[in-house]
Amino acid sequence: MLRGDWGRDPLLPRPISLLSVAPDGRADLLAKNVGRGTQLLEGALPGTKVAVLGPLGNGFPEPAADCHDLLVAGGVGMPPLFMQAELAARRGLVDRCEMIYGGRSSRDLVLLGEMRALGLSTCLATEDGSVGRRGRVTAAMEARIDHHRAANQPRKLRVMACGPREMLWAVARIAEPHGIECYLSMEEQMACGIGVCLGCAVPARSRPFRYVCSDGPVFLASDLIIPPAARQAAGSTP
Amino acid sequence: MSASPVETSAFDRPALAIQCGGIDFRNPVLTASGTFGYGKEFEGLMPLSAIGGLVTKGISPNPRFGNPAPRICETAAGMLNSIGLENVGVEGFTSGKLPFLNTCGTKVLVNFFGTTFDEYVDCGERLGKLDGVDCLEMNVSCPNIKAGGIEFGREPQVLGDLVRACRKVIAKPLWVKLTPNTSDIVALAKACAENGADAVSVINTITGMAIDTRTRKPKLATVFGGLSGPAIKPIALRMVYQIHRAKLGIPICGIGGIQNGLDAIEFLLAGASTVQVGTQNFIDPASAERIVREVDEFCRQNAIADLRELVGAIRNP
Repeated sequence: MLRGDWGRDPLLPRPISLLSVAPDGRADLLAKNVGRGTQLLEGALPGTKVAVLGPLGNGFPEPAADCHDLLVAGGVGMPPLFMQAELAARRGLVDRCEMIYGGRSSRDLVLLGEMRALGLSTCLATEDGSVGRRGRVTAAMEARIDHHRAANQPRKLRVMACGPREMLWAVARIAEPHGIECYLSMEEQMACGIGVCLGCAVPARSRPFRYVCSDGPVFLASDLIIPPAARQAAGSTP
Repeated sequence: MSASPVETSAFDRPALAIQCGGIDFRNPVLTASGTFGYGKEFEGLMPLSAIGGLVTKGISPNPRFGNPAPRICETAAGMLNSIGLENVGVEGFTSGKLPFLNTCGTKVLVNFFGTTFDEYVDCGERLGKLDGVDCLEMNVSCPNIKAGGIEFGREPQVLGDLVRACRKVIAKPLWVKLTPNTSDIVALAKACAENGADAVSVINTITGMAIDTRTRKPKLATVFGGLSGPAIKPIALRMVYQIHRAKLGIPICGIGGIQNGLDAIEFLLAGASTVQVGTQNFIDPASAERIVREVDEFCRQNAIADLRELVGAIRNP
């Protein structure tokens, strides 16, 4: 949870995921200006102090030599997956994962150079086709699953995803019939980050609700109640 | 308690000690129900022995799982919540939460509620018998299912009956947390005073709503929620003052938008003997400890030897 010296507007701290943590403890965050809090962060001058409560919550499962992880990132949901890739690279396992990264257009896809520098294999998708495949990141993910199946990928496939809620549900719906272990990093409105306000409830199977801040933000998709796909007009890719 | 006596002296100074509603507090700063979990969540973030007391999440006879999301949204200088009174229930509290609270070194006030008259009495009676519970605080802002969903605490007559029934079965100090969703807060406080309550906590959240203009949907799944935070402080302060001025002989615990020591002092001047810090615990979990220090600093600077000198000490305009 992060908050600048903002007086009473906005009032609450902002939950922001870590992008990268250096060995000396310095951390990078990535935020997109989507409202008052992130606008103030964007406008902050170098050296501005912010209060941080964290790190909080869990993370994705560790990279493993006998697994191949599809890191599926939607827009500003990319940071925890970058951090996962960085961890894999540090352990010499960067070839055990690949980034499937989508956004509306090329302007939404950032840090591509840094991904290359990790030696990370990336597959890009944009809805306007300005870079990578045209279409949604979930279509790109489906294609990559088909590729691995056709190539008889000997390692266990896992999916780890972060992005807009609808994208995460779509990811889960694709992974499930393949029997692929799927981890979703969820977002929800929250005030405290430490399991007290109980604002960040998500419907779950193991209990009526689980909490993004204290039980997550990463959940096994099989423990969440995934709503059925909304019906869409044929061919529409909003 | 790991900190040295020198470091904690500010929290234990005799000048800060105060009695309120049948309890002797080491200082007047408590934390409000629903913003402090069951205490353990703040272990390691703040020494709990630094505060006067903590009020637990509201407990009902049986566990409750709460409302669908979105449950909270931010508003101007405040927030709306509609958590749905989620809690572990009396048994879950007794076995899972109370053992820690018994070791935390501060007064333990247990907030409780029911959805029927009988549930209130049952819940209060069971909680009131537990060792390690210093006081019960009744949440009367729940919908009365048998009376069409209107809050129990909104009608002085209903509230008075409820307080009297609970009083009969509860030997420990009994506080009542008043709803501000009323046109006459004094009448509600009077109903509590006349039916045996030891103190009133003033105020609970104010009913409100917010709309997302893009989707045209309410920002809360339940449409309405409770407004808290600095936005409600002037209203809370006014209600504390009105009750104090009515000279009902019942002590007041002031609640609503307290962010710093001077906010707390304002409530004391308006007539509160103690205060509860709520939404501010979300913004910075160590706030209550800081507020105790700031109250102490005010008392030192103003040569206040006994906190009672400040209670209701507002001057005429």
